[in-house]
Order: sequence, then C-alpha cells, then structure tokens
Amino acid sequence: MHDLGLTHSNGFVALRDIALAARAGEHLAIIGPSGAGKTTLLRLLGAALRPTTGRLDLLGVDPWQLSAADLRRLRARIGVAHQAPPLPPRQRVVTAVLAGRLGRWPWWKALASLVYPLDIAGAASALARLDLGERIFDRCERLSGGQLQRVGVARVLYQQARLMLADEPVSALDPTLALQTVKLLTADAEARGATLVASLHAVDLALSCFPRIVGIREGRVAFDRPAADVDEALLRELYATEGGELPLLASEPRQVREVADAEAARPSACWR
Amino acid sequence: MKHPRDPAARGRALGVLLAIVILWPLGVIGEFRPWVLFDAHNLKVMGGFLSAFLPPETAGDFLAYLGRATLETLAIATAGMALAFLLAVPLAMATTRVLSISSIGPGPGRRRGDWLRAGLRMLLVVLRGLPELVWALLFVRVFGLGPAAGVLALGLTYGGMLAKVYAEILESGDSRPARALLEAGGSRLQALCYGLLPSAAQELTSYTVYRWECAVRASVVMGFVGAGGLGQLMDQSMRMLNGGEAATILITFLVLVLAADALSGFLRRQLGAGGTRGSAAAFRPLALGWLILFGSAVLASFVWLDLALAGLLTREAAASIADFILSFFPLDLSIEWLRSVAIGSLETVAISALGTLLAAFGGLLLALPASGRYGSAAEGLMRFVLNALRSVPELVWATLMALAAGLGPFAGILALALHTSGVLGRLFAEALQNAAPTARNALLEAGAPPGAAFLYGTLPEVTPQLVAYSLYRWEINIRMAAILGFVGAGGLGQLLYVELSLFHYAQASTVIAAMLMLSIVVDFSSAALRRAI
Repeated sequence: MHDLGLTHSNGFVALRDIALAARAGEHLAIIGPSGAGKTTLLRLLGAALRPTTGRLDLLGVDPWQLSAADLRRLRARIGVAHQAPPLPPRQRVVTAVLAGRLGRWPWWKALASLVYPLDIAGAASALARLDLGERIFDRCERLSGGQLQRVGVARVLYQQARLMLADEPVSALDPTLALQTVKLLTADAEARGATLVASLHAVDLALSCFPRIVGIREGRVAFDRPAADVDEALLRELYATEGGELPLLASEPRQVREVADAEAARPSACWR
Repeated sequence: MKHPRDPAARGRALGVLLAIVILWPLGVIGEFRPWVLFDAHNLKVMGGFLSAFLPPETAGDFLAYLGRATLETLAIATAGMALAFLLAVPLAMATTRVLSISSIGPGPGRRRGDWLRAGLRMLLVVLRGLPELVWALLFVRVFGLGPAAGVLALGLTYGGMLAKVYAEILESGDSRPARALLEAGGSRLQALCYGLLPSAAQELTSYTVYRWECAVRASVVMGFVGAGGLGQLMDQSMRMLNGGEAATILITFLVLVLAADALSGFLRRQLGAGGTRGSAAAFRPLALGWLILFGSAVLASFVWLDLALAGLLTREAAASIADFILSFFPLDLSIEWLRSVAIGSLETVAISALGTLLAAFGGLLLALPASGRYGSAAEGLMRFVLNALRSVPELVWATLMALAAGLGPFAGILALALHTSGVLGRLFAEALQNAAPTARNALLEAGAPPGAAFLYGTLPEVTPQLVAYSLYRWEINIRMAAILGFVGAGGLGQLLYVELSLFHYAQASTVIAAMLMLSIVVDFSSAALRRAI
C-alpha cells in the first residue's frame, strides 16, 4: 500500500495543501506549466526534501520518522531519473549505471567495483534496453544530453526500485525515442509491480502512456483524474500562463484536437 | 546475452603492475620500514622527548632569546626578498622577450641578444635549481656563521625564481602596447613602465607578497646550516633533546607561519580590491603608505642584521670568494664517486616520491573532515591539524623523525609525508568544497552510503585536480629531499653535507651538479605527466 498526503510551504511557497495517494503499482503522470512545483513534488516523494508541514507516507512509512539507517534503506528502494542526470563527466557509463545499486551493495563491493565493474552483464542489459549497449565503456562526457538522460533511465532500471520517480526523463530526446523510453519505464514498472510517478512536459505523451494524470499549477493540485477524463478545457486552464499553447511531444505546436486523437489512440500507442 | 569484457581492465592491471615495479625498488632504496617506528628503543627515545614537550619552556631569558631569533628570522626573510627583488628586476627585464629591442625588425645585434637571453635564462635555472639551503650551506663557508649567508642564499634563489615568474607574467599579458613604445624609439624601461606594468603590476605585486610568505618559511630553517634565525635555536634544542624548548619553538613556528599566511592573504586581497575599485586617485595615498612601510621594514631588517655586506666588496674578499669557487672545479667524475652520487640521487628520488605519495593519501584522509563533511567541529579541528603539520618545516620534521625512526632515508620520507600532508590536505579540502555536489547528492538520495556516494559521485570529478596538486608538490619535494640529508635523513644532502665538512669540494660540486640535474629532470617529467592527465 502506498499512500501519501502532505502540505508544504517554505518561505517561497512552492507547494501548498497537496494531498495525493497512489496505490502500489499505480502509474501516474504529473503535468503542469514550468515553475508549477513538479520537481519539488518529486523531490518530496523521493525523500530528498523534507516537507515543512504535512505528513508523508512512502512505501508504508513516514521517511522523516525513520532512523538514519532506515531512511537510507528506504531511499535505496526509491529510484529517481533526473531531467539533467547528475553523472560525473569523467565517470564511465558502466560505473554510472552500477552506481544505481550502491544503496544495496555492501561497502567492499562498491569499492571493488571501482577497480573492475562487478556487474557488467546487469549494466549492459539495462543499457541495451535503451539502445546504448555500445556506449557502456565510454566516459559520460562523450555522450550527448539525450544519451545521458537515457543513461540516467538505465540507472533507475538497474536499481529496480519499488517506487520509480521520473522528473522529465525524456526532455532531451526526440519524439520517437521519448515515446520508446517512457514506454520502457512503464513496462518495467508494470513487470515488477513498481509504482511509477513521472513528471512530463509533453502533455500528449502523458495522456497516451499514463492511466492517471495529476495537473499541478502554482503549487496546488489543479486536477487529479483518469487520463480519459482529461479534456481540452481542463488542459487550457492548466497552461493558461503559457499563452494557452499546449506543450506537446512533436516539435511543431499542434492543436488539442490532435491531443484528443492521440488519447483515443492510446491503447495501441502505449497500453498493450 | 554474452556480456562484453571491460576494455580498460588490461590497462589498469598494467598500471598496477608498473606501480609495483617502480615503487618496490624505491621502497627498498628509501629503506621504507614502517615497523621501525614501533621498535622499543625508538619508542623510548621519542616518548621521552615528546613527554618533555609539556610544559613548554617559558623561562624569561629563553623567551627573550626566542624573541630575538624570531625577529632575526623575519629580518632575514625581508632582507633576502629585497635582495632577490633587486636581482630579479634587471634579470626579468633582460630575459623578457617582449622587451627585446633587437628583435624588432629584426634589428642589429639580434643574434647577440638571443644568446645573452639564453645565457641569462640558464643562469636563472641554476639559481633556482639549487635549494636555498644549499646556497646557505656554501655561503656559510665563505662568510662564516650568521644571517649574512641566509640573506644571500635567499636573495639568489628567490632572485632566480622571481625573475622567471616576473618574465612569465610580463609575457602572458598583451604585448602590443610595449611593442608600440619600443617601435616608437622608447627604451626598455619606458616600455616596461608604460606598456607592461599597468596591466601586470597587480599580479607582480601579489606574487612578490606570496614569495615573501615563502621566504619566512624558508628562513625559519636557515639556522640548521648555521645561517641564523629560529632554526639555529631549534637545532640546539633538538640536539640536546630539550623537549620543552622544542615545544615552545614549534609553537612559535606555527604562529609565525600562520601570521605570515594571514598577512600575505590580507595584502593580496587588498590588492585585488584596489584593482577593481578603479579609482586610482583613492588608491594612491594608501599605496604610498604601504610603500613607505615596506621600505622601512627592509631598512630595519638590514640595520638589525648588521650584515656588513660592504665588506664583500673589498679586493681580498673578492679574491677569497674566487678561490673558494675555483676549489669546486674540476668536478670529481671518478667512477666510484659517480656511483655513490647515483645511489644518493636514487635515494633522493625515492624519498621524494614515497613521501609525496604517502602525503597524497594522508592529505585526502585529512581533507575529508577538513572539507566540512563531518560537521563543523571536525572541520575546525582538522584545519588546525593541517596548519600545524604544514607550519613545521620539513627539515624540523626530519630531525624529529630521525629520533622516531633512526637516521636514514626513511626519516626523510616520513618528514616529507607529514609536512606535505598538511599542504595537500588544505588544497584537497578546498577542491572537495568546490566540487559540484549534485552527483553525490543524487546517490545519497538513492540510498547510497556516504562513503560510496563520495567514491562514485565526488571523487571522479576531483581526481585530476588532486593528482595535479600532488605532482606539483612532488617537484617541490624533490628539492626538499635533496637537503633533508643535512640533518641525517639520507639522499644527496647527506653526501653534500659530509663532503663539505671534510673540505672535499670537488666531490661536493659533483653532488651539486646532480641536484641541479635532478630538479630539472623532475620539472620536465612532472610537467609532462600533468599534461597527460
């Protein structure tokens, strides 16, 4: 059971009176204009940021009531794919991916793996799923922004977290790859019964791949409903501050009608 | 799926093998035997000496003596710097390519100018290639015991160093204004003052102040070869195993080095602020004030030291100096002497390499708490430890370690390791603090233990910087390793010290030549290594 409800404010009020609950194994997408608080919300969910008010319940426990060791164990079960993956440029891709399991490895294994990567097979299979198999022994600095983002996703896949958080994980990818990568995330979560919470910039991607959509605006939940019930008016209102244009996956701005079409095509596009 | 093998593994294995192949013999040559530290006899000597540290000596006449020695140390540093400055300015002007008149055109006398410049550059290499303590040791033979030898030694070595760096600074800036002045018929001095100084003055001054700070640290140990100052006092106290006096002197070192540090940092920050303020008029009176202050400090230093340098200018003095110099030639190049010099050189290399390597690991261990990772209490404590480690000069550490581990190169290794740990620890801590925390934080947020997060998140980024610092320090340490033998810690210094006390000047000059070659070779290889990473 995976339940959470929290209120949060910090001088500049980033989020206020947020109440959300997700079942274990549920997939939900967070959408909203930039600056709405998507990243902050995900950081709260990742126990990386402590809420100033309210109560948080992650994988059945309140992270901020735990001892340091227990909090570390909890965090090892939460995986985050970052928009700008924080990978040291001089680190090799294989090491960057293996670092996903540092939370579960004993210290001697972490140390030994720096001398010789201990689970090349695991890293290779995670990377192969993202079409990056050949880059496994390259340094991160030799990868493009989009490739780095996929390495970040590969690290989360390798981590095999119970709760997967993705903060605009495909923002640097072209539409085809973006769709493939999000599919990969949802399929992986599905296969392992893990919970997946992703913030997405592209509305059509969110609508086509996630059964449940949470719209966030100015630090509040604007709506929280099944993807099928999200209509054009709702979206326009959500993105009113961005001039009514909806951010979509394809580079040329499309009208919402096409979003609705994409939504109609959802089962074939994403949901098997 | 058959997974690929790590292509880097072979290179890494080779690297480890190579390191063992190189370090093992170095360890044998350097008599690297940590267990002798726990030898019962050594423990007893060291323990007895250390237990005498408390309480530090505070008798009135000793303190008065200490105060005078401290002032003498400061005066040696200041007077030596003044001499170095006088030497460096003309040398820098002559060797700066930008200020060459004959290269315009090229005009008449160009070839002669090139040769002169090359010759002067060689002279600079010799001046700064020999550690100041070697110069001091030589000068003590000519001018007798006392601060005069120390001042002259500092003047020569730092003169060579300042001239080189001045020329580098002048050449790194925009050369067009100076060139235009020269082409308009201006003289070198005019081109320097109107074309180069306006943009380079701040950096030049800043470097000079920094060098003064180094000169204070150098003059602290001048006394070990009889060239005056605190070192003489320290040498006596150590010889008599007077722990209380040694403790008081060590505390004085700490205060002196930290004060010089703080003063130099303050002055350089002032310079930076004055430069950005832009209003030259507001800065002038202040600058004039500083100038008067420095001038009187230099004057007071010379008066206090009572150097009687004028005596050097007499005919007999010049003749005796010439005799002394001539007695060093020809070099002793007999096979058996060359063999012992070669062994001494290897020992010096071993001391410097192992000492620096140990210091790099020690520095990293100390830098972790000093960078504020384990709270501010640990940070403050560790910063104090680092400052204490580096404020005790290598030579003093060597005398202490000779007690703890017996005479020989191992004492030298330990001495270098201790002092350099303090220096590198401080630099490493700064590098760690400046490293971007995102990668490490992300790992911590994924539940990685702090140690693993550091290894996977922070270390990959700072490693090149840490290695560069260590290599740079190795260049300095090879010069230091060459003189640690003065107090019995092995290497070329021991050979030089013995030969000079036996008046075997031909043998001594071979050792000096070896020292020069060693420092030049290390400069080159370290620069090559730094470019490679």
